[in-house]
Amino acid sequence: MTPKLAAITGIGSVSPYGVLAGLIPQSHPEPECITAWPTAGLRRAFLVKPFRPASVVPGLKTRRLDRLSAWALVASSLAIQDAAIDLSQVDRSRVAVVFATGLGCVELTEAFYQSAAANGWRGTDPSPFPEGLANAPASHVALWHGLRGPNITVGNRGVAGECALIQAASLLRHGQADLAIVLAGDTLTRAVYEWYETAGLLSPACFNAEPLAEGHGIERGFVRGFVPGEAVAALVLEPAGRREVRSYAHFKTGRWAAGGQAVESVRQMLGGSVPSLAICAGSGAPCDSGSAAALARQISGPSAAIVPADTIAAGLADAGALLHLILALSSRPRSGPALLVGSSGAGCAALLLEIA
Amino acid sequence: MTSGRLPRVTDRRMNDPRINDRRMNDPCMNDPRKTIVVTGVGVVSPYGIGMDRLQAGVLSGKCCLESAKDLYPGFAGCAAQVGDLPLPSEGTSTRYSRSDRLAMIAGRDALAHLDGEGAAFRESGAGVFMASTVAGLSEIDPEIAGDPGAWYRHGGLARAATYPPSRVADAVGEDLHLYGPRCAVSAACASGAMAIALSANLLLDGAAPMMLAGGSDALCPFTLSGFNSLQALDPEPCRPFDQNRKGLNLGEGAAVLVLERLDAALARHANVLAVLRGWAMTNDAFHSTAPHAQGNGLADCMRLCMEMAEVSGEEIGYVNAHGTGTPLNDIAETHAYEAVFGSRSRPIPVSSTKSYFGHCLGAAGALEAAITIVAVRCGALLPTLRLTDPMEGSGVNWLRGEVLRQTLPQAMSVSAGFGGSNAALLFGEAGFGDGRA
Repeated sequence: MTPKLAAITGIGSVSPYGVLAGLIPQSHPEPECITAWPTAGLRRAFLVKPFRPASVVPGLKTRRLDRLSAWALVASSLAIQDAAIDLSQVDRSRVAVVFATGLGCVELTEAFYQSAAANGWRGTDPSPFPEGLANAPASHVALWHGLRGPNITVGNRGVAGECALIQAASLLRHGQADLAIVLAGDTLTRAVYEWYETAGLLSPACFNAEPLAEGHGIERGFVRGFVPGEAVAALVLEPAGRREVRSYAHFKTGRWAAGGQAVESVRQMLGGSVPSLAICAGSGAPCDSGSAAALARQISGPSAAIVPADTIAAGLADAGALLHLILALSSRPRSGPALLVGSSGAGCAALLLEIA
Repeated sequence: MTSGRLPRVTDRRMNDPRINDRRMNDPCMNDPRKTIVVTGVGVVSPYGIGMDRLQAGVLSGKCCLESAKDLYPGFAGCAAQVGDLPLPSEGTSTRYSRSDRLAMIAGRDALAHLDGEGAAFRESGAGVFMASTVAGLSEIDPEIAGDPGAWYRHGGLARAATYPPSRVADAVGEDLHLYGPRCAVSAACASGAMAIALSANLLLDGAAPMMLAGGSDALCPFTLSGFNSLQALDPEPCRPFDQNRKGLNLGEGAAVLVLERLDAALARHANVLAVLRGWAMTNDAFHSTAPHAQGNGLADCMRLCMEMAEVSGEEIGYVNAHGTGTPLNDIAETHAYEAVFGSRSRPIPVSSTKSYFGHCLGAAGALEAAITIVAVRCGALLPTLRLTDPMEGSGVNWLRGEVLRQTLPQAMSVSAGFGGSNAALLFGEAGFGDGRA
């Protein structure tokens, strides 16, 4: 099948960098001290600063929602706004939502377990149950914006964000949607953080208050662990040329695999071309150890410019790809073909983009 | 393990000139590169392991729903459980959740259909797309809520690692040594059907030569308690589409379909079990838990599915409904059938096989896809059990009583879930495509 280009026309994000429409201004947020739950001493992570979703998206009611759902609503609204899309003029039965998450709505899942611990399984609180399902954020995005196209939530160890982008492009290519809102994200909770800690996955930077050294790169962070983070990033994806509108990049094609001949598979996808830019989307998994960069170097050769994985985006583990991509686009790379490469212990993903 | 060895359809039909003529005149079948076929089905259901057990079970009308009192202290209701579930290998009791294990056994069973060609597929870059709603929630205790660190230190660490839904796909892929695209989908109770639909898209994209697609979910206190707290459970065996329905029952199981393009299947003289003629996904965008009252999203989904397959409502011989037995779902679904099939010359035959072994959540869409394939292959219209006082449904033939036997060229499986997700899959008889209901 001849691939049709899909254009990225809108960006929104809720992340430690802020709550933003469009590109992310350059900054270097430090890990925050965790105060939301009791910790045995100083613990740090890349956290989203508390904000009122309704102050960003008027009328939004998020009190009963998991933070992941609330942030997905905000990020999707910002991306749609950035894409200058008037949804009242769009056939919303043709708009898909594809959401990538590693852990889903863990906050309300934990709340449900808390009610079971307090009252027994017979006395659980009904409100967190449906809202704790992994597809709740995508559903709320559909509900708020009235989007009646395919509504998909995917998970994929290490490369969930890349996978969501490929799936969304596939829906457009097959005519199953005319527009897709692609999101990826996770939130941090006590149970998640303590799992990382007990498993010995955390960077020493999580346990001291010292500022991260300038250029605290992903490779350096991975040597002795990672700093977990939280965010939701959103992109608007639509067939290229459908509207006269600015696009940040075009998605050309993508491949992902759980193993096997990763380099050969990506080279086959590239069909002989070698992009001069590779954007690494390190997954944050300690076993990743900078393998996205190694893979990118292997594919693109020594002359290619490699954008290293961002420490904060890598803190998202499975769902960091979209934030990685937004950050790379925010650094205003030269136009031309670029490869977004993600990897994890479970495999790799590569997306061929054309930077506008 | 008992593997459901189904009779080869292709052997006797692929060389039949009459059937080949019909196939070539069928717009969906005349381009084998754009036709997705099912060449294997692996199943773990309350009937046991294997498609043959599932087939025998549903054709006999056996109900697996039983009173279950030990699922958690104080639980009183009905559920359908899978009996003894073997561990995939020694020493893996904490590494894999029950949903993982169900999925792995279904995956092995699916590949057992491949006439010893499984090894070749392992090297071909075959992918895995699995759905799960429960995933590793079955392995996590409420004690985690008080002090997660302590719970992890006392044995919970490995169990918690099974929590992400992506783990189920990894378990199948790792167990079968499949290293192509691997992904999990979580769209509540429509997940299993979506995994199949999305896999079909990937095959058309050329992203993999073959996909193992399905769903797996285990019974666990988390979901039983959750649905109980929502007052959605019927304490007795459920009665979908009955005026006196009171709610749903939960079940557990897994189903994995082997999907590939027809050209690839023909090239290796595969045993084609069914053709996946159409698929579609929509969302109600109406309410976070309740379906659209008129079933608009589900109706759109079925129409899109038929559009893709280029068939009319007249050509659908049977619909395997979502049919949970909850008051709201069954009303919405009935309206959807009325809207889509109301203009047919004869009422559309519809049944809910959740009346046999309950609602298997993320696995339901995949298990019901397997049942729909059984229906097509056996020419069997399966009744809804315990349906004594059917709902009003203009243009709907609520199947009840005995199994009806008739040629069934095409049948649809419909799924819906919390969050307004809908999915529809249209299966056709292998080698046919122009039949009439």
